[in-house]
This record gives sequence, structure tokens and C-alpha cells, in this order.
Amino acid sequence: MDLVEVRVSRLNVWIGGKHILKDVYLKASPGSVTAVMGPSGSGKSTLIRVINRLIDLVPGARVEGEVLLGGINALREDPYIVRRLTGMVFQEPNPFPHMTIYDNVAIGPKLHGLARSRRELDSIVEWALKKAHLWDEVKDRLHDYPYQLSGGQKQRLSLARALALKPRVLLLDEPTANIDPVSTTKIERSIMEYAKEAMATVLIVTHTPQQAARISDQILFIYQGRVVEYGPTRELVLHPKNSLTRKFLGGEV
Amino acid sequence: MRDWRRVKERIFLAVTSILAMVAVAPLFHIIASVAIRGGGVLYRAGLDFLTSQPAPPGSSMLGGIGPALLGTLWLALLTSAIGIPLSVLTAVFIVEFKDHPLARLAKVFTSSLLEIPTVLIGMLVFLTIVSMMGHYSLLAGSIALAIVMLPYTVSYVERAMEEVPRTYREAGYSIGMTRSQVVFDVVMGIARRGVAAGVVIGLAKIVSETAPLLFTIGSARSSYPMSMKDVFEPGDAVPLLIFQFAQTPYQNWQDLAWGAALILTVIVLALFAAMKLIVREVHL
Repeated sequence: MDLVEVRVSRLNVWIGGKHILKDVYLKASPGSVTAVMGPSGSGKSTLIRVINRLIDLVPGARVEGEVLLGGINALREDPYIVRRLTGMVFQEPNPFPHMTIYDNVAIGPKLHGLARSRRELDSIVEWALKKAHLWDEVKDRLHDYPYQLSGGQKQRLSLARALALKPRVLLLDEPTANIDPVSTTKIERSIMEYAKEAMATVLIVTHTPQQAARISDQILFIYQGRVVEYGPTRELVLHPKNSLTRKFLGGEV
Repeated sequence: MRDWRRVKERIFLAVTSILAMVAVAPLFHIIASVAIRGGGVLYRAGLDFLTSQPAPPGSSMLGGIGPALLGTLWLALLTSAIGIPLSVLTAVFIVEFKDHPLARLAKVFTSSLLEIPTVLIGMLVFLTIVSMMGHYSLLAGSIALAIVMLPYTVSYVERAMEEVPRTYREAGYSIGMTRSQVVFDVVMGIARRGVAAGVVIGLAKIVSETAPLLFTIGSARSSYPMSMKDVFEPGDAVPLLIFQFAQTPYQNWQDLAWGAALILTVIVLALFAAMKLIVREVHL
């Protein structure tokens, strides 16, 4: 299992001439969860879209700086190779509505030829759904379409789709923002378990300090595109150095 | 005072419903007269109507519209083969390469095609394909019809693709899909009902078009196109037969036109029904 450390340095991003990220840096190690925290509009989503090059889809985006995924220079490498290394869960649950629950999880492994037989594919699908704590709820209706699932179940299905590819880096963009509390707990558990078991590097964008405190090992606090404070979760939450961080933790920003 | 308000409400309701009826009355009139008169003709002619040639003008016999029906089927097939891939790919190009100057040109071009009278498209094909081949053919007709189909299908497919939320594209790319996989497996998959509707609307439009066929297929009223090589020969089509027979003074030909009109209506309705049955709706 290769360990992929994520290293971002002097990252600057402009979208349509607007300076979105300013000299952002971070270092996330395998087996750990990094929370990217900040008020809405601070550039958190942009940051993780740079890491898997979804930023390429944004018209008028310009990126400068360095993003290393292990030995790979993510900004220079073929985006398909970068995305093969990374998995992503989005803010809105987005399992493909025209595919069954099974196919939603199987599509990634099929696309990249990870299963040599139907049975192998079945076992990947089962594994991913279990990792996303969704298996028990859908095992009897794998061939139904996702519209029958609740929002939280759909989000766990999106997570299972990403996990099925066993990504070395897992990116999550406010995955529980619109989700019920039970699913939120399950998703948070999945994330922490996956980081530890697969020694994967996890980055999760969140706008709630509580979630960051619950699941992360370190926190990157961004405000208006700039890193304000960066450090181990416990330290940052208990003894914030910056007054802005204190205000954010107190719910004032 | 309250009564007066209620009276006003009533008057308003009456006026709008009368106007609505005035607006749809012609439609009902057309459908009813096609069904009644065409139905009578079909009943008289029996199954022969679908297979025989038209009887000679003025005869007491009716005959049928066999060659025209077969011609229309060939035209639909050939036009689909040319028009569907062309329209779908044009729509993909317009949606996926929005900022490319060629894509903008394609968009302007297809939407202005909508404004061009279809008879001009027939003349264009006459001046190029027909004069090059030296004679009329089903192929020339199909090319004209494919051009007629293009703007309708392109705009429907384009809209259907635009309506697919951006997040599904991102999801596709995030699991390592290529652009064409995202377009054809994700976007087209989710938009399939809209894409199919665009195709069916285009087909419905072209099977009932007359003008582009006037100078292109040559109304060969007795030939039965059976194989691919007949495509290069003149043929007939149902709407063309209706247009030409309805103008004649012969009772039996006018009757054939009524029967053909009913058949054409049934074909168009069947296309829509088949689409609804075959293409499953995608629930987001």
C-alpha cells in the first residue's frame, strides 16, 4: 500500500480575475484526517478542487503554486491520473440517478478494471457499502434506483462510490451539510475508519468547528482565502492563537 | 359588493374558457375529420390500403398507399441514420465547448436554420445532390429531411443536457472518467428522456414534412423500395402523396389522401407513445 502525503505550498488561485486562494499551504499525512475549516466563501471548496484538478472544469480559473500527492506533481500531471489517486464526496449527495445502487458503486472499479470477475466486483461493492455504513440498509435492494433513498443514504452511497476505488486521498466537501444526524454520525465514522485502516490521507471541508473537533487530527482554518491558523486539532480548538480563530470557534464569524 | 365580485369572477371564467375553446376547436376539427373521413376510407379499402398502389385517377377502385408508406419508412430510417448522430453530436459540441467560437457559430447556425422555410432546404438539395446524381432519390430526400430535423433535435438535446446538474459531471470526473465518458455515460444517461424526446420530435417533424420532398424524391408512386440500392432511386412519401392527391379533382385520390392522413397521424402518435414506453424517466 503506497502512502500518499498531500503537500500544498504557495498555492494561489484566481477565478475570473478574483483572487480566491492566497499563498495557501498544508501538509496532510497518510492515516490522518485534516479539517479545512472556515466561513462560507473562504475558498475551502476551491482548495480541495485544486487537489483533484476538478478546478480544470471551472471556466476562467488560474492556478499557481505546488500540490504534491506523494511523488506526483498534481498540477502538472495528467488530471486522470490525479483523479485515480483521489476520491471525492460532494456537498450535495450525487449518486448517478440513472444507475442502480449496485452500479453506482461498481462503476469506478469497472471503469478502471479493478475486478476480474463478477464475483470480485460483487465483493468490492459489498465492501464499499459496508465501509460507508450503508450495506444493511440496501443489501436487499441493490438493483433499485437511488431516488428511493433518503438524503443521508444517498450521501453514504456517494461515499461508497468513492471508496470502491480505494483512493489514497479522500476529499470531502462539506459532506454532511444537508444530512440528517444519524447519517452524519455514520459518515464521520466511515471517514475516520477509512483513514486509519487504509492509511489514506483525508481532507474534509467543514464550516462547523464541532465537526472538525470530532473527527480531525489537524485543522486548517482559512479566512478570505488565507491560512489564518494551522495546527493539531486539540491545540487549535483549546488554545487558538489567532483572535479570528477564537471568534470563529465562538460562532462570531 | 361581494356579489359583484363573484359575478366578475364568473364572467372572467366564461370568457377565458370560450377563448380557450376557440383556440383548440380547429385542432379538434382536424383530428375529428381526419379520423372520420380517413377511418371510412380505411374501412372500405381494408389492409390493401397499406400495400397496394393507388388506383388510376377517376377509377371506382381505391387502391392503397403502399409505395408511399414504404418510402416514408425508408426516409425515416435514412434520415435517422444521418440526422440523429449529426444532431446529437452537434448538441454535445455546443454544450461541451460553450466558449469555443465554432460552438457559438454552430449554435447560431442551427437556430437560424429553424427560420429558413423548409422548401428552400429542398431546393438547396435539388441544386446540389439531385443535380449531381442526375435524378431524384430517397437519399436526396433524406438529406433534406436531416437538415430539417437538425435544429429541432439539436435544441432539445442541448436543453436536456444543460438541465443535468453540474454536480453529476463533477462526480463523473472525480472517479476518473474521461470527458466522453462523462458526456455519454453520465450526462446523456441522466438526460436520456430529453434526448429521446428531441429525437422523436425531430422524427415526427420529418415524417410529416412535405416541402423538402417536392424537389428531391420525385413522387415515384408505383415503386416499392426494398433494399439499400433503391435508396438511390426516386420514391414516394405519405405527406407528399397527401399534398398532391388532395389537390386533384378525382374522388378516389382525395379519399386516398384522407386515409393517408389518418395513417400519418397514427405514425406520429405511435412515435411519441413508443418513446414514453421505452425510455424510462430518470428521477433525480
